[in-house]
Amino acid sequence: MCGIAGRTLNEPGRVGEDLVAMMAAQRHRGWDSTGFALYGSPRSTGYVVRALLDDRAHLDADLEAIRAVTREHGADFLEDPTWDDSGQQHVTARFVVSDPEPFSAWVDACDALPRVELQSAGRALEIVKDVGDADEVADKHDVREFIGTHGLGHVRLATESNVSPVAGHPFWARPFPDVAIVHNGQLTNYYTWRRKLQRRGYRFTTENDSELIAVWNSDRMAAGDSLEASLQRSLSELDGVFTYLLATSDGIALAKDRWAIKPVVAVSAPDGVAVATEEQSLRTLYQDEIDVEVCDGPSIVRVWPVGSPVPAGAVA
Amino acid sequence: MSDEEIRAGDRPLRQINREIREAVGAGRYVRVTEPLSRHNLGVALPPGGSVTFDGSVGYYCGGLNNGAEITVTRNAGWGLGEAMASGRITVDGNAAMSVGASLRGGTIHVRGNAGPRCGVAMKGGMIVVEGSVGHACGFMAHAGRVICLGDTETAAGDSLWEGEIWVAGTIRELGVDARVEEPPAEDIAEVQELLASLGIDDCGVAWKRIVSGQALWHFKSRDAQQWLMI
Repeated sequence: MCGIAGRTLNEPGRVGEDLVAMMAAQRHRGWDSTGFALYGSPRSTGYVVRALLDDRAHLDADLEAIRAVTREHGADFLEDPTWDDSGQQHVTARFVVSDPEPFSAWVDACDALPRVELQSAGRALEIVKDVGDADEVADKHDVREFIGTHGLGHVRLATESNVSPVAGHPFWARPFPDVAIVHNGQLTNYYTWRRKLQRRGYRFTTENDSELIAVWNSDRMAAGDSLEASLQRSLSELDGVFTYLLATSDGIALAKDRWAIKPVVAVSAPDGVAVATEEQSLRTLYQDEIDVEVCDGPSIVRVWPVGSPVPAGAVA
Repeated sequence: MSDEEIRAGDRPLRQINREIREAVGAGRYVRVTEPLSRHNLGVALPPGGSVTFDGSVGYYCGGLNNGAEITVTRNAGWGLGEAMASGRITVDGNAAMSVGASLRGGTIHVRGNAGPRCGVAMKGGMIVVEGSVGHACGFMAHAGRVICLGDTETAAGDSLWEGEIWVAGTIRELGVDARVEEPPAEDIAEVQELLASLGIDDCGVAWKRIVSGQALWHFKSRDAQQWLMI
């Protein structure tokens, strides 16, 4: 049982603060780890990168190693790296690089460094995830101050793997920039798809089915499917019970399986869209009565691009 | 006018429910403001009084109700009136998944639509949905009656036992072992009377009744002991 949420704003705003409130309201669905995929103003060139470094004692050396790998791929840091000052052993570092070539080879090279794992890379995407509940993670990583247009949130109750900063959601669709996922459910044909995708050259950093769904959709889109077509196809090709939210640089989208087990509700308001596992999460943003779409039915696909006009009084 | 007003908001759920229970048990009419879609509101209420939730409620509202009259002025989340024994729940808007799951008695009246698995495993009582119902309505219903004035989704009446589903609109697709029959005139008159008691005129619709095909394990047998062998 996990809790997920998605948020879009028609104008750049405090999307981080909204998502923290939405996830805090779903704390009872999981307090082992909490994560956010946040989309700021998109850069025209260069990538914002979030990386998890295993050992604070080697912080300087590991950042230097990342810089060296980046230079080997014809790029460099555009901004000095920053990191959390929690004092915990693991460190979340943020840096901006110019465009490495080829991008996926650079991602592989960074991940191959000891003690380094990229958590996200994109023109706009920043994934922040850590152990603890929404307020703890938000306090540690200043999530509430994040200004952007859209994002995802996830609270995790660990059932099948350990509690660690890398095991939480959201997952980045490595190596596709700006694609992230949060997911509530489980796939039953995970290994079938994992082997197929690995044969095509994709690399997975966890054994989590959510990571696979993100890559699966990105692969479909790279093959020419629209986002909506890919999500629709996932309802028949991915097996299991699932409700997932996929985010791209354009907005957020929802897919829900044929069995309609995992709940999800949505609000389309004049200022943007809010989606969550539970309605009380939406009500942290909208205290006044508002039309809530209860997506209880089977086989649901929705795409919410950022800034798409919502007619006044419309029901999603 | 209500006798008493209770604010839900972000107050502790146990406190809210204790206040509602005390007031309803004393036969008063309570109005609950700012329900904010919170879960488990108005659970296990005693008979005597009534409560109106002024807004939307979350999961399990009115669960285990034991005789209270409950009204929700907007929408209800999953498991509305689950395992209710008696009383009445009215929702002015829509209700989500599993309305009246394991319902044992009483009446649930949804003025809008109901989500999937409406009346799942119900063992008595009545669910009236003025709009449409979702996937697998009445799944494994042991007894009782779902009355749908709109349409049903797929898998309607899947694996029914002795429960029945009355449909005024279109049945999109029947579930496993479900069949449709034309109800006899006396049963129609009874349903019309029940609807009239809720202020609904059925306008003489051509009712369809979904019942068990009794082709599953031992269903053909009328010996209840054999059913208990499971």
